[in-house]
Amino acid sequence: MNNLEAKNSKGKNLSKKFLGLFTQTKTPTPSLIILYIIMAVIFAVSNDNFLTIVNFKGIFNNFAVYGIMAAGITIVMIAGGFDLSIGSIAGLVGIVSAVLLMREGFIPTPLVVIIALVMGCVMGLINGLIITKVGINPIITTLGTLATIRGICYFWAKLNPRIYNDFIEGLGRKFLGNVIPYTTIYIVVIFVILSLILKFTRFGRDIYTIGGNESLARLAGIKVDRIKIITYVISGLFAAFAGLVLISQLGSGRPEYGDGAELEVLTIVVLGGVAVGGGKGNFLGVFIALLIIGSISNGMVMMDVPVYLRMVVKGALLVFAISLDAIRNRRRLQLY
Amino acid sequence: MAETRLQESNKERKKVGISNTLMLFIVLVIMIAFFGITSQIKFGQQFFFSILNIIPMLSNISYIGIIACILTMLLITGEMDFSIGGNIGLTSCLAALLLSKGINGVLVVLICLAVGILMGVFNGFIVTRLGVNSIIATIGTMSIWRGIGYTLSNGESMLAFNPVIDYLGRGTIFKYIPFPIILFIIVIILTYIIMNRSKIGRRIYAIGVNPMASYLSGTNVKGIKFLLFIFCGAAASLGGLILTSLSAVGMPQHGQGLELTVVSAVILGGTALSGGKGQILGTLAGVLILSILYNGLTMLNIMYFYIQIIRGIVLILVVATYEIRQSRALRRV
Repeated sequence: MNNLEAKNSKGKNLSKKFLGLFTQTKTPTPSLIILYIIMAVIFAVSNDNFLTIVNFKGIFNNFAVYGIMAAGITIVMIAGGFDLSIGSIAGLVGIVSAVLLMREGFIPTPLVVIIALVMGCVMGLINGLIITKVGINPIITTLGTLATIRGICYFWAKLNPRIYNDFIEGLGRKFLGNVIPYTTIYIVVIFVILSLILKFTRFGRDIYTIGGNESLARLAGIKVDRIKIITYVISGLFAAFAGLVLISQLGSGRPEYGDGAELEVLTIVVLGGVAVGGGKGNFLGVFIALLIIGSISNGMVMMDVPVYLRMVVKGALLVFAISLDAIRNRRRLQLY
Repeated sequence: MAETRLQESNKERKKVGISNTLMLFIVLVIMIAFFGITSQIKFGQQFFFSILNIIPMLSNISYIGIIACILTMLLITGEMDFSIGGNIGLTSCLAALLLSKGINGVLVVLICLAVGILMGVFNGFIVTRLGVNSIIATIGTMSIWRGIGYTLSNGESMLAFNPVIDYLGRGTIFKYIPFPIILFIIVIILTYIIMNRSKIGRRIYAIGVNPMASYLSGTNVKGIKFLLFIFCGAAASLGGLILTSLSAVGMPQHGQGLELTVVSAVILGGTALSGGKGQILGTLAGVLILSILYNGLTMLNIMYFYIQIIRGIVLILVVATYEIRQSRALRRV
């Protein structure tokens, strides 16, 4: 046994030497900040327009939808769950509210917003009930609901509704004082409130406990199933809100909106240091990861990187982030 | 008294006794009969069982099935490979690109398989050596492979004509049996023998149930997982070559979303995502059910998005049935 440990610690030393800075920090947030500063310097040197307010307005607005979705999936993943259906939920909520808004004044706007958010909650509730009460693996469940909900979206494929509603139009496009996009305010407010909930309420601590060790949480008297269901409802709620922002920014409702968003959001959340097995993660990391992913997309456009190569870079970034995470969290005895 | 109790328990065991795989095959037979009868009623002639329908359907099943069988082995160890779809896109672009340069068909096939193995090595290295969660790692590599495919083909689709490549997907043996089906049957037999009749198969199951215990009993856990990732890469490349041949065109969009179809088929076949459970025959049934469902519903002129909904619901229903049956079986003990 001693031999094994020695062998393993040798490997660890090597990786420590290799990655230096990254491995010594417990949380990934400091290394992410440094990564972002390095990136920003590279982009700023290669293009004068990178460090301008106009550009950052664009970065935030482009990634608002993913940022709002990331808030929900972060909570789910800290509790040890997984939600792949967010893109489909956003698509369905988007197209249904666009259809409801088609005839002006037919249904009052606040009611449409409420219907949209309730729809998201209900779909999250269905996910949560299947996962906890029937006991199916969350990845399979949300894979199934992803296909099912996306299929339902196509019921309205022929309508092609446009958005002429002032409130919905302003939701994702307006700026506060012509500088700060509304969407940035949403993200900051949501992230701050959720971090406070995670840190200072019993509910938040319970989420970490469940993610860390579910059976222990159960033995400690935490109502595991109920809290897990609530996390999926939260995820559905934010996906629904993201759907509203999406139709606001794009000005119409289409059934394919939000397709593939789950992978983008997953990249952001994992890069932000949320552990895949649960129990770890904070919103500051996710926010910086959002900035990094947004700036990379933006910077690659500025540097005129070929469009198909951007896909490779994004994938490589995800692999890099998760490898870093794995090396950092490597257990003392990882033999299998 | 004791005897009656024994008889009762025997009876109960018989009730549990019908295996999940058998259940799937019963569902399959019912489904085939249903589509046969409805096509007879709807069109007035037997379309579902005609050669015109069955041959293309079988060719399509085979490339999905080859990947699904290998993926079953990987899933039983508790790992996952989502990068198969991207792998297919890259392979098909690479094949078309090499063919357009005038390279010999056999050589193209060999190069593509070698590249597939390389992709498997990359996945295997990240997962087993760096200890990354395989789901996320392969989601990342999926987009890398597809991006390379797009870069190779510049986003366009390229014609891929070559006698060797043509034969791979569209060749027939004895005039009727498509060549990919032969490949599929060989893969089924090989994987069945490995999983049910060989030492390494036992080890694969053991790794899935308890990796620590199998490590302590002398199994090279990382090595076996690495090997299975390599197999998976090679199988996906073979699937990509067959798909390129079937469509006679190499394009980066090939295999988009295929990973979900294949994983659904494997899970439908009774393989658990957590590992340690699953059968090759179950996977065969899963592939057949999903493909025939798609084929039959399309034949009945049901729109694509309804089929998507039905597939999603079928997946959740079947997995829920497994869970319920398992919890019932546990309660009996």
